[in-house]
Amino acid sequence: MDKPSVTPQHRQKEGRLASAIHHLRLYFLLLRAQARSQAVYRVSFALDAVGSAFITLSEFAAFVLVLPRFGSLSGWTLGEVALLYGLAELAFVLMDLMFGGFDAPNLSQHVRSGSFNTFLLRPAPLRLQIFGSDFALRRVTRIFLAAGILAYGITASGAVWTPEAALLLTGSVLGMVAFFGGLFVIGGTLTFWTVDSVEAMNVLTYGGRTLISYPMDIYGQFLRKTFTYLIPAAFLSYFPVLHVLGRPLPDGLPLLAASLSPLVGPVMLAAAFAFWRVGVRHYGGTGT
Amino acid sequence: MQAALPSTRGPNVALYASVARLGFRRQFAYPQAALWGLITNLFFGVLRIAVLVALFASTPRVAGYTVQDAITYTGLTQALIMALSLFGWTDFMRTIHRGEVASDLLRPHNLLAFWAAQDAGRAAGQFALRGLPMLALFALLWGATFPAGPDGWLLSTLSLLLAWACGFAFRFLVNCAAFWSPDAVGFGRFAWAVLGLGSGFLMPLAFFPPWFQAVLAWTPFPSMMNTTVELWLGVRTGPEAWTAMAVQLGWAMLLFGLAAFVLSRGLRRLEIAGG
Repeated sequence: MDKPSVTPQHRQKEGRLASAIHHLRLYFLLLRAQARSQAVYRVSFALDAVGSAFITLSEFAAFVLVLPRFGSLSGWTLGEVALLYGLAELAFVLMDLMFGGFDAPNLSQHVRSGSFNTFLLRPAPLRLQIFGSDFALRRVTRIFLAAGILAYGITASGAVWTPEAALLLTGSVLGMVAFFGGLFVIGGTLTFWTVDSVEAMNVLTYGGRTLISYPMDIYGQFLRKTFTYLIPAAFLSYFPVLHVLGRPLPDGLPLLAASLSPLVGPVMLAAAFAFWRVGVRHYGGTGT
Repeated sequence: MQAALPSTRGPNVALYASVARLGFRRQFAYPQAALWGLITNLFFGVLRIAVLVALFASTPRVAGYTVQDAITYTGLTQALIMALSLFGWTDFMRTIHRGEVASDLLRPHNLLAFWAAQDAGRAAGQFALRGLPMLALFALLWGATFPAGPDGWLLSTLSLLLAWACGFAFRFLVNCAAFWSPDAVGFGRFAWAVLGLGSGFLMPLAFFPPWFQAVLAWTPFPSMMNTTVELWLGVRTGPEAWTAMAVQLGWAMLLFGLAAFVLSRGLRRLEIAGG
């Protein structure tokens, strides 16, 4: 499934490029087909789009509404928290749009109903089909909402804006997309063996997103260290934001740690796809 | 599922009791899923506590809540997520979309009472399976507190039952939207988000600005959980507590009446459409 069509050695590079373009077109074709089908019922789509944004909105609004009573969250202002919250939400929604097909509930349904077998039969790369299998267009409203919260955070946090800061935060979003995408892939792969553990993955995916939406110094030593050194979530957005706000990193970590997000994420994603290959081989091996 | 009981003129208590019992027992079918659910809820509880404790860092008491109250509040709301279906409920909606509601109508029972009985059993099962262990864990790990004295227990228990009644009637009403529109799922998503904010699941309502609390006071949402939390914590006591429960009772009756009315209109519409 990964190999391009057989070409002579000297033309292999060209062939790879052509097949990449072909696959990209195939991917967008899949997305467009789904977007079209979802837009057929206009009212339904509008309700769904507004409704899914409202879940995030109400959660953040609850925090915004109570913060004045307390003054600050462990020394963090609303603008500063908005920066963290907006980054996490933006990355998670973008990831959800791209990796939704790998999310355990979706993939396990394909496995149980047998439609996963049809994926295997089709003459298109398996992963590309999964990538293009659950494009929930209604989530676009959440992208705008997240961008709005992030924009507020950028203006209200009082951070000094430099190209370096912009680069750091862009890298943070990309790293998070890859990191959480990797978690979705791992969760989806687990469904080849069992569907019972699916909810456990939610702790890491949705729980992880919630965890990094707030400054991590509020969590206490054990939790913060676990999600820094064991599960490197702190590198994704907390450290970049600390640096952008001119705050020191915890544990005397060097400044370099603030720019590791674009590395941490892809490493997780690569590991997840390695696990995925094992899972697919196992799935084929059972003969179902 | 249920035994074929003969139709009687009056409300058939035995039938609804057995429906509730089955709804209760069904919750215990997947113990492993329940265990994972408990772990997930506990983890989110830890994150929510961290935010609240950090907020309380510079103030010992806000709107009658101490930090210990805030922890108990978190434990209680995490324990009630499943029992009160705070993330939403679409079971009835599904039977309308699939047309199964038509065959349910053939059975000798009142549709609203049937679903209420089933949901009461489901809620009790979830409370026993996930709510009680969650409360015990919170009490053990963070010293969450329990109602003060027999009075506190009585008020909290009654208020919890009323919160379920309000919440169920509201959820049922939202599900009735399926009679009119295939878009009921999107409508529901919106309703559950309002429920989360208005019922005090996301934050205790007492922490909100006065204007927002005044708006919510005109809605049934605080009756669906926040009131129970306040009675449990003893934030409201004496006559104030009984007034709060009277409000809950009023909303429960109003919402059940509304649900019965909307259901009958919906069913009439269903007949016109030919099922």
